[in-house]
Amino acid sequence: VRLGLRLVLLALAAGAWIAAAILLWRSSVVPGGLHLSGLDPHRYFSDRQLTRTASFERFERWDFFLAQVALVAVVAVYARYGGRFARESAAGRIGTGMLLGMLGFGFVWLAQIPFGLADLWWERRHGVSRSGYLGWIFRDWGMLAGEFAFVCLALLIVMALAGKLREHWWIPGAAAFVALGALFTFVQPYLMGPLHPLSSRRPRLAEAAHRIALREGVSSVPVRIQDVSGETSAANAEAIGLGPSRRVVLWDTLLDGRFGERQVRFVIAHEYGHQARRHLPKGIAWYALFALPGTFLIARATRRRGGMADPAAVPLSLLVLVVLQLAGLPLQNVVSRRIETEADWMALRTTHDPAGDRRLMQSFTRTSLVQPDPPTWSYLLLDNHPTIMQRIALANAWAARETP
Amino acid sequence: MAMVPASVSARILVEDDLHRSRLTVFFRLLLAIPHFIWLFLWTIGAIVAAILNWLATLATGRPPKGLYDFLSRFVRYATHVNAYVSLAANPYPDFNGEPGYPIDVEIAPLAPQDRLKVAFRIILAIPAMIVSEEFLGTGWNFVGGANGRAYYQEGSKFSIAGGVVLGTVSFLAWFSCLVRGRMPQGFRNVLAWGLGYLAQVAAYVLLLSERYPNLDSGATGVLGVQPPRPVRIRIDDDLRRSRVTVFFRVFLFIPHAVWLTLWGIAVALAVIANWFATLALGRSPSALHRFISSYVRYQTHAYAFLGLVANPFPGFVGRPGTYPIDLEIDPPERQHRLVTLGRLPLAIPALLVSSAASSLLFVAAVLGWFASLATGRMPTGFRNAGAWALRYGAQVNSYFFVLTDRYPYSGPESGEEPEAEAGIEPAHLAA
Repeated sequence: VRLGLRLVLLALAAGAWIAAAILLWRSSVVPGGLHLSGLDPHRYFSDRQLTRTASFERFERWDFFLAQVALVAVVAVYARYGGRFARESAAGRIGTGMLLGMLGFGFVWLAQIPFGLADLWWERRHGVSRSGYLGWIFRDWGMLAGEFAFVCLALLIVMALAGKLREHWWIPGAAAFVALGALFTFVQPYLMGPLHPLSSRRPRLAEAAHRIALREGVSSVPVRIQDVSGETSAANAEAIGLGPSRRVVLWDTLLDGRFGERQVRFVIAHEYGHQARRHLPKGIAWYALFALPGTFLIARATRRRGGMADPAAVPLSLLVLVVLQLAGLPLQNVVSRRIETEADWMALRTTHDPAGDRRLMQSFTRTSLVQPDPPTWSYLLLDNHPTIMQRIALANAWAARETP
Repeated sequence: MAMVPASVSARILVEDDLHRSRLTVFFRLLLAIPHFIWLFLWTIGAIVAAILNWLATLATGRPPKGLYDFLSRFVRYATHVNAYVSLAANPYPDFNGEPGYPIDVEIAPLAPQDRLKVAFRIILAIPAMIVSEEFLGTGWNFVGGANGRAYYQEGSKFSIAGGVVLGTVSFLAWFSCLVRGRMPQGFRNVLAWGLGYLAQVAAYVLLLSERYPNLDSGATGVLGVQPPRPVRIRIDDDLRRSRVTVFFRVFLFIPHAVWLTLWGIAVALAVIANWFATLALGRSPSALHRFISSYVRYQTHAYAFLGLVANPFPGFVGRPGTYPIDLEIDPPERQHRLVTLGRLPLAIPALLVSSAASSLLFVAAVLGWFASLATGRMPTGFRNAGAWALRYGAQVNSYFFVLTDRYPYSGPESGEEPEAEAGIEPAHLAA
């Protein structure tokens, strides 16, 4: 009877999960039935560009792949032997768990350094990055310290809950992580260092941005510029924050003259599209959907080591977390690509400028060496944006629909 | 004649009665001018002699007797002058570096030396010189610029006084000696410790001995006995260090930094309440005393971990008896209301010394980080110097937080006695 009840409960939970996922998935303004594949890249890019970007990304993919292998190897070894470091603690149960969590995170950080340096070497060689090697290692120490603090906070929550609720900690635990994720999304704009108003650098563009924001119904969201040109030549932008902390952030590399004003306007419209379609709250909702089974699986996997109430289970939980994250990556990318497609569509609807979009994509390929048509396996496993060719096809599709 | 133990390059000898002549204290720097000139000239000669000594020792594996005697006398004379200027001793020193001054130094006897260590002596000495720079100072102090930009400001030109720990102590001792005609024992012992370490470094750099300088107060010859205090440190550390936790030590401290800050906010409010309550009642209320004591103990645990004075990751509640570097704090006792009323201004000198001691803790921690990573052990001298800074800091905080009205004692803990080669008792300073 108990097994039956459990199965019913599991089926109900799975049904609720799927219903929620479908609800989130369907909330898109992109019309169905668009054909975004099959476009010939040679129509938009020279052979030299295609060869160069393919070569650039091939190395990046290998580097990423090897980094993940090293990551899994390190956390696997740590899961096996990491419990020994408990003897280096005079703290109690939770304090020792924090120590083990931080050490595990420290090993992960160390293991990733060679691959990060290799990536930097490759990007410097291709003129994409301007960071020095030492500067790269020491640049983000504040961020690293924040991540250590987050590891401690996460373990404090999990182990405190597990101490009280034993193996059922994962239910309030998942809720706590979602709340933390929301909190982090809210405060992120205030942690990014100095951000400058667009009007202080490009007043005319700021006026255009304001008009775009009005059209998309997000006029209260300001555009800010982040100075990154000392470290990279790659161009990027992002939508960040929640509620009153919402921002659109442009890297200053977008404004260094390599991108025309129409292209930059398209980028701004794309980012405003994220804000208008509430992609950040939706992202948190997706995170909640993944967090529930994730914490459940961690709770189940660590039972043999005494559960998450026992510090000895912390190294194993790190391994489970890493494996779950890697396994969930393709799924996360599917969601991310859909969100990005919708933001592109919003930008096309606002700017009515598919030609500007196409030129922007060509510029991205030229400046950031993004491969227009990556191999399918790479697209499925690694890419969190539609491919350049898919984005051009989307612009063409929009143009075809709007042309009488 | 007493012999220096084999494990140290030089050892300090203290025959000082703490009495100070107010008149000579007042004019101390002016009176020392002839010594400054003579020391400067002697230093030039010593540099030439040191180069010759290096070449000769490299060739023969043993310093020539004449150069050894000359350089030993130089080290002794410099120590006398340092002691006089820093107020560690009272009488005007002789100009020839003869033994017998109240703060004197014994150099390790002439012995063969490893030529490889001789060849790279100046490089090997760098960590010791960094410590001596921080401990004693040569006058380069890092200060903030007016417009927020940092710049280096030149201080004393001489390798005497004017340093971080000793400079602060000497400065404060000057006022104390003028008022009381007596040197505070703690201050004198700190100065003797520092001068002993400087003498060790000088003996090592000048190739008088190949024994590496040891920061432990016992190894410098200063085995000060701490007078009874309501706040005491207990060291139960075996010097073993986990290389992994040493490597990540700063990052592992992050949760403690956060917790220290959060708890510190509550403690700040509690200290204000404690001040008023102690002023009214004449003693600290038990609940407040317990709460603040736990914080002071936790601070000691956390900073001991950060400064590599101890190995294990500490707990977050400051429970007594749970950490190798622990703090014993007596229960509340009666406090003088007048001392409580003026606690803030009275604490300023101790806070200054504590700040200087923290800088020594920092240097010991940075150098100890490399040593612990390489050997899996923290050098005793660094550990004990760090423990001294922590103990003094805890006493200062306890005084400042109105847990006790006993003024902090700045003298070093009883250090570990160096291994005696030929039955000599290291000098115990009078309490």
